[in-house]
Amino acid sequence: MLRVTKLRYGFPIGLFLFFYLDGILGATFPQQLFSVPYSMSSYLVVLWLVFTVFFEEQIQVPLTVWAAVAGGLFDVYYTGIWGIFVFVFPIAVALTKACYKAFPINFLSGLLVYFIDITVICSLSYFGNLVVHMTTASFADMMVDSLAPTLAYNLATYVILYFPVQWLFNRLRN
Amino acid sequence: MNKFFSNRRLVIVIVCLIVSFGLMSVSVAIRNKRSTPPMIQQFGNDVVGIVNRVVAWPVNGLKGSVSGFSDLMNTYQENQRLKSQVQELAQTKVHDQAISQENKNLKKELKLAHSLTDYAPVNATVIARTPSAWQNQVIIDKGSAAGIKKNMPVLSGSGIVGRISEVNRTNSKVELLSNSSESANRFAVTITNKNGQNVHGIISGYDRDKNLIEMGNVTAKTKIEKGDKVSTSGLGGVMPAGLYVGTVATTGTDNYGLAAKISIKPATNLSELSVVTVAVRQAQTTN
Repeated sequence: MLRVTKLRYGFPIGLFLFFYLDGILGATFPQQLFSVPYSMSSYLVVLWLVFTVFFEEQIQVPLTVWAAVAGGLFDVYYTGIWGIFVFVFPIAVALTKACYKAFPINFLSGLLVYFIDITVICSLSYFGNLVVHMTTASFADMMVDSLAPTLAYNLATYVILYFPVQWLFNRLRN
Repeated sequence: MNKFFSNRRLVIVIVCLIVSFGLMSVSVAIRNKRSTPPMIQQFGNDVVGIVNRVVAWPVNGLKGSVSGFSDLMNTYQENQRLKSQVQELAQTKVHDQAISQENKNLKKELKLAHSLTDYAPVNATVIARTPSAWQNQVIIDKGSAAGIKKNMPVLSGSGIVGRISEVNRTNSKVELLSNSSESANRFAVTITNKNGQNVHGIISGYDRDKNLIEMGNVTAKTKIEKGDKVSTSGLGGVMPAGLYVGTVATTGTDNYGLAAKISIKPATNLSELSVVTVAVRQAQTTN
């Protein structure tokens, strides 16, 4: 369980803020994020979960549960198709935890881990949509039109937000 | 690898996979068949939607001030261009008024309450966009409380941009024309050529690379040219007639050389949406 720190309130607030920003940024800057045929999907909520793995240190946040909750909301509110992100987000968190245990995390290795996370999320959500016939795009189209721009966008947000969020977690832990 | 796939883990992974596929197929089936999502989903969406509006407010304020500045820079050029159009528009408007008055009188004479072209507009604001490449969807801030039903057409600017795919009490999802799913954009449309002849058909897909709507399986021999206007025909479902879809960009034959395949340039920029209008058809619907 969470020890009584400010993180107890700070973590869920940050999670939901980033969850909403994913949709709102898409609606506010559609020309930049969704210029045909490319589409950048914003996964700020995953960024928050990944940062929590990196920065929480000794305080145990039940991250897998929170990831499933965020994924469930993502499914119901944004896509309207149950059962994709509710499993994909916990998988990404588990992957990040495994990497965190395997080697020391700093700014650059964290960037690499986040790169892998986004690739896994994009691919799994593509296959999910493919099997239920919500998309007919080919794998090559998916790589060029969706995965590449999404990676570029999300890695940029990682670079911009890494140090501010690290500072925020240091503040919240004490 | 052996250690990873120990019995317990393997069972958990398989159960998760089965549940995932089960949930996906059930939700797609519900989405295709029922007019509203299950009660719990609706309630959840409504709660999430209310908070969304609160969070969106400062972001939209920021965007508003930035775009306000860039609009100011464009004002002079735009003003010049618009002045020339206004004169023409005033004349068209007066003419339209006279025609719609005449139309109303004639309908009264025929004891016709509502015909296919009548619709009541419901204005809504876009509050979020699905952050996914596979669902080109936006979420708007009006739902069944404002009279919105599934499959109603959604307009923005001068033309149609998509249709309602899910209705909650206070918000709903709009599937855009650019959606790549197989059942997303099947509108009944009609093309009117320069001689006033009509060709009916159904939109059959969307070309992502060229940003064009495709209309296939057209067997009529009527001559269609580039620039001919395309509008909804109002046949079938809840769609009113006469909503502007776009103009014909290219014509050709399909892969088998039998039927004509027509590409349509959408009337509105499908990615730039902030305020949309839902057209609620007033004539009796078939479903």
